[in-house]
Amino acid sequence: MNAKRRLLIALAASVVGLLFVVLGTGRLLAPPTALAHKEKHTLDQLNAFQEVFMEQVKIGDLLFHGDGATEKRMNVTLSKTGMACAMCHPFASDTHPHEFPKFQEQINKFSTLRDMINWCIEKPNEGVKIDPDSDAMKALEVYIYWSNRGSRLATGTH
Amino acid sequence: MEPRESDLDPRQIDMEIDRGERPNRALTITRRTFINKAILAGTAAGAASVGWFPTINTIDLAFGQQAAFKFAWLSDTHLYPKSVNTRFVEKTVRAVQEIKAMSPPADFLIFGGDLAQLGDPVELALGADILKELTIKKVFIPGEHDWYLDLGAKWEQTFGKSPWTFDHKGVRFIGLNTVGQVPDYWSAKKMTPKERMGHMATLDGSVAGPWAGVGEPQRRWLDQTVSNWPKSQPVVVFTHTPLYEYYPPWNFWTRDWREVNEILKPFSNVTNIHGHTHQVLYNEVGKMRSIGMLATSWPWPYAPEGVPALTKAMIRADPGDHFDGVGWSRLSVAAGKVENEYVMFGRKAVFADAEVDSGTGDNGNQILSPRIADRMYPY
Repeated sequence: MNAKRRLLIALAASVVGLLFVVLGTGRLLAPPTALAHKEKHTLDQLNAFQEVFMEQVKIGDLLFHGDGATEKRMNVTLSKTGMACAMCHPFASDTHPHEFPKFQEQINKFSTLRDMINWCIEKPNEGVKIDPDSDAMKALEVYIYWSNRGSRLATGTH
Repeated sequence: MEPRESDLDPRQIDMEIDRGERPNRALTITRRTFINKAILAGTAAGAASVGWFPTINTIDLAFGQQAAFKFAWLSDTHLYPKSVNTRFVEKTVRAVQEIKAMSPPADFLIFGGDLAQLGDPVELALGADILKELTIKKVFIPGEHDWYLDLGAKWEQTFGKSPWTFDHKGVRFIGLNTVGQVPDYWSAKKMTPKERMGHMATLDGSVAGPWAGVGEPQRRWLDQTVSNWPKSQPVVVFTHTPLYEYYPPWNFWTRDWREVNEILKPFSNVTNIHGHTHQVLYNEVGKMRSIGMLATSWPWPYAPEGVPALTKAMIRADPGDHFDGVGWSRLSVAAGKVENEYVMFGRKAVFADAEVDSGTGDNGNQILSPRIADRMYPY
């Protein structure tokens, strides 16, 4: 093999090697993406997920208990009567998230938990219904689920 | 010689049999029954000759038979200023009108606490104004919502101090304060009065702690108050919180309930009537019956860990009708027995027959979770 060919091969190998290094490093430095079980989760990652989760539970707790500052920040009006969800549902009891979706007699149609949350905001609390896919709705939903964890799934139960 | 069963007061025998207890054979013949028997024996000859004998009931005459009477319980109105919320005002006004319409009129009204929502003088004044419509005798005990903005100052100024007691037609009525003895949770955290009240006003809050209690000075007062009362005579104890342990995380209890029950133990006819729980409840602790009253404001759900076994639960409220599941109580006392009639607004049926109607079988396996947001700094 002449010198020119050897030089070309070495150059190609270097470029490929450099690409591996750059891409590999890039992956290491990038924020954790959803690996979705391609790789094993570290304890730090699991703790990070839990932190994000509990942060939402805390926001849901504040909204559920009528915290005005949190409502204002999230641009929602959950009640105009001065009442809060927790006043009829201490510890989020009697919300039965494990029974949804089901036919809900107050709404007179087949409903999800989010439908029921919005019904309560609008009717007993005389508030303004919120976007079902909003951060506020997800926070309320997660607080209700978190407060009822361990419940046996019993969808369709009255 | 042991007294025969017929020597005992027949009404006492009836009351004891109702409770499933045998009459106490160690009871000696009382002076009262001796005198009655002597009178009967002495007049028997003369009375029998004119047929009076069956109509003479000297036990009743000697005892002074107490006429039956009624009183009303109203509590947990949780009034907001009218500018915020009129629904609680409407419901309180309705209850007052219904109590006013009692015929014959109630002998008195007992207001069982939580007149205000946040202890605001405006709320307390609003409550006093609404209750002014009732001109019958009124007695008051505070709830935690009345107390913690100013530690009871406005309440006592307007409605008087507790504990108190009065006798009425053979019954000793006692009003206790089970909300004013909360261990200080506010000074170390330098809370404002509104912050202090806010934490107390949150039933499922984590900051105020297990606050319901009678306390030792009041227990000493209670002991002294009942010491001269005959042990078989009825005693009715009004409290805001139940005099037993139902669900402490929501202060559905009184923390020194055992000590209070020790003081009341010698009495064979004790009824505790309480508010705070906003639901139909019934329990018995020894010989003491404890009856939970409705709120006029809103109903609480039954506790996640279940209700006392003796409770016949109410049909759960319709959240779409804010007049449902709430009301007041008409209580009657006849022959020493207290009977309660719930007056639930607009409802024919109060009690549920099945768990699907009461919600008590809803879910027993959830992991109970006290809230977290109020334990995070700043409180």
